[in-house]
Amino acid sequence: MTSYTKEVISDLIAGQLPWPQTRRIMSTYKDEDRFFKVIEVLQERVPWDDPILLPISDHLFICQSGSERVTKCECGHSFGDYRRNWKLQALINVRCTEASLREIYPNNDIPDPDWMEIREFICPDCSTIHEVEAAAPGYPIVHDFEPDLEGFYREWLKKPLPEGPS
Amino acid sequence: MLNRPSSPQLLRQRLIESERLMEETGCYDGITELSLRAEDPLKFETLHTKLRAYCVSAREMARRISASPGVREVGEMVVAIYTPEGDAIALSNGIMVHVHTMSRFIKWMIRNGYEDNPGIRDGDIFANNDAFIGTVQVPDVMDVMPIYHEGMLVGWAGAVCHELEAGGITPGGDVALAQERFTEGLFVCAEKVGENDELRRDYIIRCERNLRMPIYWVLDEKAKVASCIDIRESVKDLIEEIGLDYWMKVSKEFIEEGRRAQLARTRQLTVPGKYRGHTFYGHVTEGKPGFQPLGDPNWLYNIPIEMEISVDGKITMDFEGTQPWGFHSMNCTPAGMDGGMFVTLTQHMNFEGLVNDGAWMATELKLPEGTWTNPDSEMAATATSWALLLPAYGVFQRLLSRGFLARGFVEEVFVGQVNSPMIEMGGKSQYGTQFGMAHFECAAAGSGALAIKDGLDTAYVGWNPESDMGNIEIWEQNMPMIYLGRAIVPNSGGAGKYRGGCSFISTWLVNKTDHLRLVTSEHSSRVFDNGGMCGGYPAPTCQKHRAVRNSNIRELAAAGKPLAHTTGIDPDRSDLEKAFEGTHEIVEGPYITAPHKEGDIFTHSYNGGGGFGDVLERDPVKTAWDVENGFLTREAAEKVFGVVLTEDEDGMPVPDLEATNVRRETMRVERLRNAVPVSEWMKQQRKRIERADFVPEVRKMYASAMKLSPRFAREFRTFWNLDDEFTFEAEKQA
Repeated sequence: MTSYTKEVISDLIAGQLPWPQTRRIMSTYKDEDRFFKVIEVLQERVPWDDPILLPISDHLFICQSGSERVTKCECGHSFGDYRRNWKLQALINVRCTEASLREIYPNNDIPDPDWMEIREFICPDCSTIHEVEAAAPGYPIVHDFEPDLEGFYREWLKKPLPEGPS
Repeated sequence: MLNRPSSPQLLRQRLIESERLMEETGCYDGITELSLRAEDPLKFETLHTKLRAYCVSAREMARRISASPGVREVGEMVVAIYTPEGDAIALSNGIMVHVHTMSRFIKWMIRNGYEDNPGIRDGDIFANNDAFIGTVQVPDVMDVMPIYHEGMLVGWAGAVCHELEAGGITPGGDVALAQERFTEGLFVCAEKVGENDELRRDYIIRCERNLRMPIYWVLDEKAKVASCIDIRESVKDLIEEIGLDYWMKVSKEFIEEGRRAQLARTRQLTVPGKYRGHTFYGHVTEGKPGFQPLGDPNWLYNIPIEMEISVDGKITMDFEGTQPWGFHSMNCTPAGMDGGMFVTLTQHMNFEGLVNDGAWMATELKLPEGTWTNPDSEMAATATSWALLLPAYGVFQRLLSRGFLARGFVEEVFVGQVNSPMIEMGGKSQYGTQFGMAHFECAAAGSGALAIKDGLDTAYVGWNPESDMGNIEIWEQNMPMIYLGRAIVPNSGGAGKYRGGCSFISTWLVNKTDHLRLVTSEHSSRVFDNGGMCGGYPAPTCQKHRAVRNSNIRELAAAGKPLAHTTGIDPDRSDLEKAFEGTHEIVEGPYITAPHKEGDIFTHSYNGGGGFGDVLERDPVKTAWDVENGFLTREAAEKVFGVVLTEDEDGMPVPDLEATNVRRETMRVERLRNAVPVSEWMKQQRKRIERADFVPEVRKMYASAMKLSPRFAREFRTFWNLDDEFTFEAEKQA
């Protein structure tokens, strides 16, 4: 069975694994123990102790925080219950004028702000942009991902979901 | 197991029975156990590899028969083997999107009584390019031939080529101006076009008299027939070797194995749950010549997708809430939607094991009737259906990638494909003859970024995983234009920690012709038709066309003065305007204007891919490399990526790491200063929505989506906390 060391997985996540090695990982059979190794690597990376249950973006994780399961930024900021759309608890910067769009696209043709805006969803503590939406004005904010966390652990991983103190 | 060689049933009965068995058992053709695989797994795997080799070899041989640079250079072809009921067993590389569309074509003939009339006999050749029967668009012409063994139909061989000219209202294959089926060009609707291994002369005459450049279509037909015969003979030899009983059983077990492998792969690589995303497409035709007053001239398309992965591994994609079909050429049929799903799955999930129709059977598409994904009128045109299909399946790639990321397989995360704007042309060639063709260098866009590296530059399109732009000389040989330049478009990859792959732009001089019609399609106006991921930005995909009529290029060249070879990096005044005198044109949306002639200059740019991750995490060294190599401007490096560059002794850009840190810190502070809580923003926006304070196209988009989809209407009202009766009035545009 294919398996990699934690160091290899750590370098892979950081984009620092040499390309020939990365290419081999992409082409060969997948490593069945990947998920928990990745969780281990991420857990060491974050400056907090709440157990990570699922990564959902580059710096966003669902984790067990006390008795609650919340969406948390790598910096430690909590966006609340993981079942609710974390974006609604974020800061937003909307680029809906030619001048603000031009800041990101200085040398190309830009959208018509009457037809489309760029929405940046920002962590209020560390200012990381977690997600960018390109949408028509008035378009509802998208809830990107609602994982079936229980089903995933129970049926696919065959492991119990880590529980926090009740 | 249904398909015993001794089965006296007609194909139609066998097809119905096969579907019943699938319904009843949940397994393809009722195959609940893979007994041959269990009996001798090595033989099982070897045989499938052999079938795949037949397909690959037949395709390569056929490409040498074709005259079309689309097929010869770019590889716009695929070959596959099917069961008697029309399910794909094995396929070649190439445009795999058509493997399942061909399956629909075969099943359509069976369901429509072709066994009785026109009859299905050994040596027959059937062709189709009708998307409502089973293809994506009119230029995708497919040929299938039955495989008989001792008088019994034991399978089908099939091949598809994308034609460069389809004889429609505008030249080329992707007939941009078609607003109804009747202007899309030459239709071959599940027609018997040959017998005894030979194409009928009257069919060839029809092609010769209805196409601008029949040599492409006709030789492609011969190439496809040759590949089908090649496959047929190989399969017959194989049956002699392994026996008919074994063939009939194993060919179906391959498909059930493919179905199971897809479910297992989904469970291995993703996380169950609901995934959502959207993209948009802007269609701007206001004031352009040739468009009939059938629909609104401008149209904003929303393409929302909800993907559900169930705990058993099934993927369901739902397009609820998208726009209705319209009087334009961008509609798609369920066959085309299937094709998009199939080609995406083969790239992202079926990279090992058996690739065949089994993968498709492990998925479900929900295509609301009346939308562009499933028109309720078969008069709808589909000639440029890729315009909406590609952005839609780019969303699918991002949704799947969210699952890969959550599961820890970061190396599979891919921000997705983008549109590949086509340029079609026709008129008088440089040889003084009638001509028409599609330029297929579009088969090399920039890809979306990955979660661990930048996207591919000028090297990826979703519809042909073997992307290739073709050699300049080959294109020049076939069209009355010569290249002034092919150049990377700086900043065309979406910004991010990993940037999207960059695209390129071509600049041509119209040469040795006094009549050249140029038409473009599949590029969005006024909105981006792609997205970034995890903080990355979308790629700038609403580029305009720039042309110069009656340019003074010959005079400049004669005087040895510098020429412009691309449009440059000033969006307000292009390099063409700076270098050439003449009538300068800047055109938004489909380029449909008066014909060009010798001395005119024309540019056409392709799309880059979306970015991944927060741009301020971008490696400054990589940014400097991008600037040095023309993938990024200095202005973007500093303003967007926050990288301060200095120069080394050779004048090459190097990052000033300390100054970069300071600059990025300032940018982070600015971010927080400019941002507001989402709740506050929503309060302001709600007022705007109540006032319906949007341009007509946006209002119409909401009105159409809410009318067609009660769910979209409900979710819209719930999100903005509007009353149950709230709706938008869509006024007819002038």
